Amino acid sequence: MIVIENITKIYQTRRGSVTALDGVRLEINDGEFVAVQGPSGSGKTTLLMTIAAMLRPSRGHVIIDGHKLYQMSVGKRARFRAREIGFVFQMFHLIPYLTVIDNVLLAAGVTADKNPTARAMELLNVLGLRDRAQHKPSALSAGEKQRTAIARALLNNPTLLLADEPTGNLDPANADVVLNHLSAFHKHGGTVILATHSRRAEQLVDRTVHLQNGVIGNSAGCSPSN
Amino acid sequence: MKILSLIAKEIRHRWINFLLAVLAVTIAVAMFVSFCTAERASERETARIMLTMGYNLHILPENTDIDRFLLTGLSDGTMPEQYLEKLASRKGFSYNHLLASLQRKMKLRGVEIVLTGLAPELCPPGHKKPPMIYQIEHGTAYVGYRAAEKLGIEEGDLLELEDKKLKVVNCLKEQGGIADIRIQCHLHDAQQILHLPDRISQIQAVDCLCFAPTDDPVSILRSQIKSVLPDAQVLQSRSMATARTRQRRMIRDIFAVVMPGIAIACGIWIAVLTMMNVRDREHEIGILRAVGYGAGRVLLLFLGRAVVVGLLGAMLGFLFGTALAQYFGPGVFKITAPTILSPQLAWLLWSLLLAPVFSAIASFIPTVLAATMDPAAILTEE
Repeated sequence: MIVIENITKIYQTRRGSVTALDGVRLEINDGEFVAVQGPSGSGKTTLLMTIAAMLRPSRGHVIIDGHKLYQMSVGKRARFRAREIGFVFQMFHLIPYLTVIDNVLLAAGVTADKNPTARAMELLNVLGLRDRAQHKPSALSAGEKQRTAIARALLNNPTLLLADEPTGNLDPANADVVLNHLSAFHKHGGTVILATHSRRAEQLVDRTVHLQNGVIGNSAGCSPSN
Repeated sequence: MKILSLIAKEIRHRWINFLLAVLAVTIAVAMFVSFCTAERASERETARIMLTMGYNLHILPENTDIDRFLLTGLSDGTMPEQYLEKLASRKGFSYNHLLASLQRKMKLRGVEIVLTGLAPELCPPGHKKPPMIYQIEHGTAYVGYRAAEKLGIEEGDLLELEDKKLKVVNCLKEQGGIADIRIQCHLHDAQQILHLPDRISQIQAVDCLCFAPTDDPVSILRSQIKSVLPDAQVLQSRSMATARTRQRRMIRDIFAVVMPGIAIACGIWIAVLTMMNVRDREHEIGILRAVGYGAGRVLLLFLGRAVVVGLLGAMLGFLFGTALAQYFGPGVFKITAPTILSPQLAWLLWSLLLAPVFSAIASFIPTVLAATMDPAAILTEE
């Protein structure tokens, strides 16, 4: 279970401080698929980064399965992130000089998985990228790049998948493919938090959380009973 | 993915940055190797050239009248021959050559000559060096130019001194000094002729404390020698010793000024290239942190690259430096070049050890910046 306890994030800029998240409270059950919606600048990415253990909030706690993320040491938090959390970005964020398989295997060095290459190939197979394994990102379409990023996020069998507008740079067909893969992860018991503007995503998620000016608005949909 | 594999792939991708960094280390190591070679060669070359200038230290019997010695170059006192062995075996007494002699002015067929008995020259144990002067066999004599002329002596003649017969094996060329009136023979022959068994009148030495950190090496020498030879006095030919020391220190001084300059310049060069590499890879660092790389692994990634730069630079620098020394060395160091300018494996090992450390130190600040970058800030910058 993910508990977001009164999170506030204030950025200090030259023009003064900007409050990106303002006392956000949220609970997400294991295996839940939650969409976070809101206009640009509403704090969606900040919320996801905070949940991903990459951005320390100014106030409040993020608790995942009883672990207070920001009370862990930096190293322990990095290992926790590698083991438990997968992150998919809007801009794919693949390393240009590595092949598809190498990009997927980037996360493997951090965990103790004995045969990461087999797992990576299995994921590429599922995501329809088996033939692209030895290609560089520059040779891939946008949809393929995003599927590579999903494979990388799933390599260590995380329990939580965070996706920050993963379909933002894709055409509708590729966006559907990506959303279906996120849905498949959810159906296999994974928790997904998806920041999106996509209407199609609303049909797949259990719940939609609206974020406006860093404050959670009304939630739509129903939470699973587990 | 293994760190090493990631380093190798990144190097292949950003090979220009990598090669420029390797070039910096190569230059530093090549300069180091060629300067070390030049310093070593210069030292040996100087020593060889200065052998012809003679000895720079005189150890004389206590009863020698120094004023008369300075006037004539001859010691009138004597000391036991065993002093030579005693001095040679003393630890911490820096010398390259020790020569014991017994000298006396005498008349031969009405002609004034200086009879000089020479013992075989001694070198420090384990440091066999070619003798500075000829070694005279028992029963033979080397005759100075004027003595030979005045006495009508030629090579092959038998020379009778007191009861001792010596075969003249060499009539020396004109020297323009006291050597021209010398008749030189083995020390033991001279002792027999002069009725001074087991006595010597001086010990000459080369290279005693030339590198002493003080301006007054003679006082150190005196105290050292006094502890071994209580009844001896020391006289140094300061100008000769100073010339030797200055010549030897010259390259060392240049090395001491130039090498840190080169090292600093190359270090800055590497630091700037690493900084450029870090800036270039900000995005990649963000991704790595996002997939779970800790700051330590990011440090390892950049320091590992610096170590590869150092290792490759060390090997290339050693080859380049050795090639420079071998190409230019023989023109500069004409006497010792064939023996001195060969590749030195020890310097390769030192280079392989120090260059990666140097490269890692030069890269350290940009690497720490990379390791402390905020992944959230990087990955949300679009």
